Amino acid sequence: MKAKNILRYLPAVLFVAFISVFMLLFFILPKSDFSESEKRNLAEFPELNLTTLTDGSFQKNLDTYLSDHMPARKFFVGLDAAADLAEGKNGSNGIYLGSDGYLFPKPSKDSELLTKNAGFIKEFADDSDIPVYVTLIASSGYVNSGKLPPVHEEYRDKELIGSFASKLGDNAKFIDVTDRLYDMSENGQLYYRTDHHWTALGAYQCYRALGEKMGYEPLPEDAFSIEKQGGFYGTSYAKAALWTIAPDELELWSNKSASAGSVSVDIADGKETKHSDSYFFREQLENDDKYPVYLDGNHALETITNKDAKGGTLIVVKDSYAHTIVPFLSQNYSKIVMADLRYYKMDISALAEKENADGILILYSLDNMSTDGNLAYLY
Amino acid sequence: MVFSSLIFLFLFLPLTLGLYYITPKRFRNLTLFIVDLVFYSWGEPMLVVLMMVSVIINYVSGILIAVNREKKGLAKLFFILSIILNLGLLGFFKYAGFIGETLNFVLPFLNIPVLQVALPIGISFYTFQTMSYTIDVYRNTVKMQKNFITFGTYVSLFPQLIAGPIVRYEDVAEQLMNRRETLEQFTNGVKLFIIGLSKKILIANEMGVLWDGIRDAGASSGALGAWTGIIAYTFQIYFDFSGYSDMAIGLGRMFGFEFMKNFDYPYISKSVTEFWRRWHISLGTWFREYVYIPLGGNRRGLPRQLVNIAVVWFLTGLWHGASWNFILWGVYFGILLMIEKLFFLKLLKKLPSFVGHIYAIIIFVLGWVLFYFEDMGEMWIFIQRLFGSSGFMPSADTAALMISFLPLLIAAGIASTPLASFLYGKAKKGAVLYVFDTAACAAALLVCTASLVSSAYNPFLYFKF
Repeated sequence: MKAKNILRYLPAVLFVAFISVFMLLFFILPKSDFSESEKRNLAEFPELNLTTLTDGSFQKNLDTYLSDHMPARKFFVGLDAAADLAEGKNGSNGIYLGSDGYLFPKPSKDSELLTKNAGFIKEFADDSDIPVYVTLIASSGYVNSGKLPPVHEEYRDKELIGSFASKLGDNAKFIDVTDRLYDMSENGQLYYRTDHHWTALGAYQCYRALGEKMGYEPLPEDAFSIEKQGGFYGTSYAKAALWTIAPDELELWSNKSASAGSVSVDIADGKETKHSDSYFFREQLENDDKYPVYLDGNHALETITNKDAKGGTLIVVKDSYAHTIVPFLSQNYSKIVMADLRYYKMDISALAEKENADGILILYSLDNMSTDGNLAYLY
Repeated sequence: MVFSSLIFLFLFLPLTLGLYYITPKRFRNLTLFIVDLVFYSWGEPMLVVLMMVSVIINYVSGILIAVNREKKGLAKLFFILSIILNLGLLGFFKYAGFIGETLNFVLPFLNIPVLQVALPIGISFYTFQTMSYTIDVYRNTVKMQKNFITFGTYVSLFPQLIAGPIVRYEDVAEQLMNRRETLEQFTNGVKLFIIGLSKKILIANEMGVLWDGIRDAGASSGALGAWTGIIAYTFQIYFDFSGYSDMAIGLGRMFGFEFMKNFDYPYISKSVTEFWRRWHISLGTWFREYVYIPLGGNRRGLPRQLVNIAVVWFLTGLWHGASWNFILWGVYFGILLMIEKLFFLKLLKKLPSFVGHIYAIIIFVLGWVLFYFEDMGEMWIFIQRLFGSSGFMPSADTAALMISFLPLLIAAGIASTPLASFLYGKAKKGAVLYVFDTAACAAALLVCTASLVSSAYNPFLYFKF
């Protein structure tokens, strides 16, 4: 056969080779049980018997198994994300690619839950004997709106937060930090590029803003020494699947003049307990997602005490955004009890009474406040 | 099993090709028949029995009709019996629920219990295929098939089993018994398969996302959004269906079969008459061959011809689904075809061709509105939206969605015309072209696979909060 003729049939050769090689690789390659970037267990090989065959569940599950264990899966997922981007569909995975390597989750929508949650907080505050402070953290896309791609859905964070605040009544003290974050975004990185969370600096700006209303004297920036940790790939990175984006750096801020052994952190999660004498859980730096380095991520109840601090006891009802700001608040409150309503299903008023608390801070990101159905557990 | 799935591409197809080509020639139909049954039972483990019943009914009918050909009455009896059985099965599994609901609506006092039968995949296609055989045996235009395996292979041939083209027995009878697979044909098959796969995954699925997004936006889409949405659906249905046909024809070639073309750039038509010559050609051929012409076609005068058109288009609508909107859709085209036949086609020919194009585009785009909405209430709301009931401009968020799909919409528009095929035909055959073919196939295959893998990529971000 002449060379030209072989070329003529090359598409067929290539096609057959491609599908056969992938089939062989699929059979040969070792299978992992867990996907780091998806944070989930991958499908197991489906059970094969007459029942699963006739009801079609074997066939269906084999499909899932094949998708989960496809050779070069990460490459293909990344290729698809890149192709979407090339076709002009920025944001098709729910994440926008902005300038300077910033990834932005799409904006939260106005939701009934947001209104409902405002109602729960209002009722809770109306019944409370101690001050209830509330703050909502705007999203990265709103605060960094200058870095958004040209075509994107509207980030109505300010409007949504404003309307939420107006439904809280007179007894809940809403502290609006949206403008401060927006204004300060020029001066430093307040949100991660690869994650939806705020950075330590972002949390610090909020800490500064809360002080005036909550009645504490925030420490100046130069009171802290900053340790940097690189290689952080956050949730937006995992979702966007644009693997060439550079990782983020995490900053661990410590009070320069902290006395030894002043800090203690106690975690209670069901029957499990854990103790530490640092705000930072360095073993979490081993993972791709390093955000849980702050206070070890999500737990039902976490008690943070600081012998150096002058102030009293604060209850913080929160989502994970609080993990970065609580180490700052801990400079001013000798005891902070952090409750996560997704895991802590007991009465917060009773908790406040038991702890003899001086105040309660409800701190959520706007995104979670519009999607979390657990605020009903406040009282 | 669908072609655009990992399991088909990376498990079923390589194994099937391997098995087929190591099988000695005379047993290849048997190999095909077995993999066909595996293919079908993958999605319908129990209903494969129904398909086998259909195969047996028509296999036996074919023989009974042929051996009793001299005894006219008996042949006719078997023929009528087989038609009743075929249509009976189709009617029961596809239309029983619909007929019950309709009767209850018209005559509520009857209170008929409505049957809930799951529609067996591909029943509309394989019933029409088997009927083409039995009818042609009766009309003595084809010979009966004594070999059960050969006949079974014809009916259940996996490339066209689920969504056509509807291959008439007459067209493949010779290939079933006698075919020579060539590398040339195989290569053409691969190329066509990859084109079809790309149409389905890269265009149709994406257009589906846009159409869903716009419907979800509801009133905030405005008239502009609604038109964009129905245009996206127009592309979705064409690239989905014609992509599937391309894959079927391509796969057929890999096994040495040559099926008829099913789509011929329908969206460049200048009239409804032309549109239906280019859209789902195998179905149109079937209805012309087995309904329109036997009813007398156009040979018994104009009034009779109009009645025949009405019958055919009522049935065409009904064939597409057991719901009134499909009948409405069929009747809509039936009426337009009558109008064209009566005078409009002659008028169109005198006008500049862009008038015909615009007319045809408006007609088939609006046709897809009827086709899409099974719920008449929703259909009416959408039609009103097209004509401005919720303003003209979309909301900012819907506009963002539309703009992000603009490049693909333009690409789909271009891909609906024969432009690429024309340019490709102009290119000089030679090494450069073959390398281009290979590179294009490789790129398309990678991106399609990426899309399939990615659709199951599902970051479970419990730590999100």
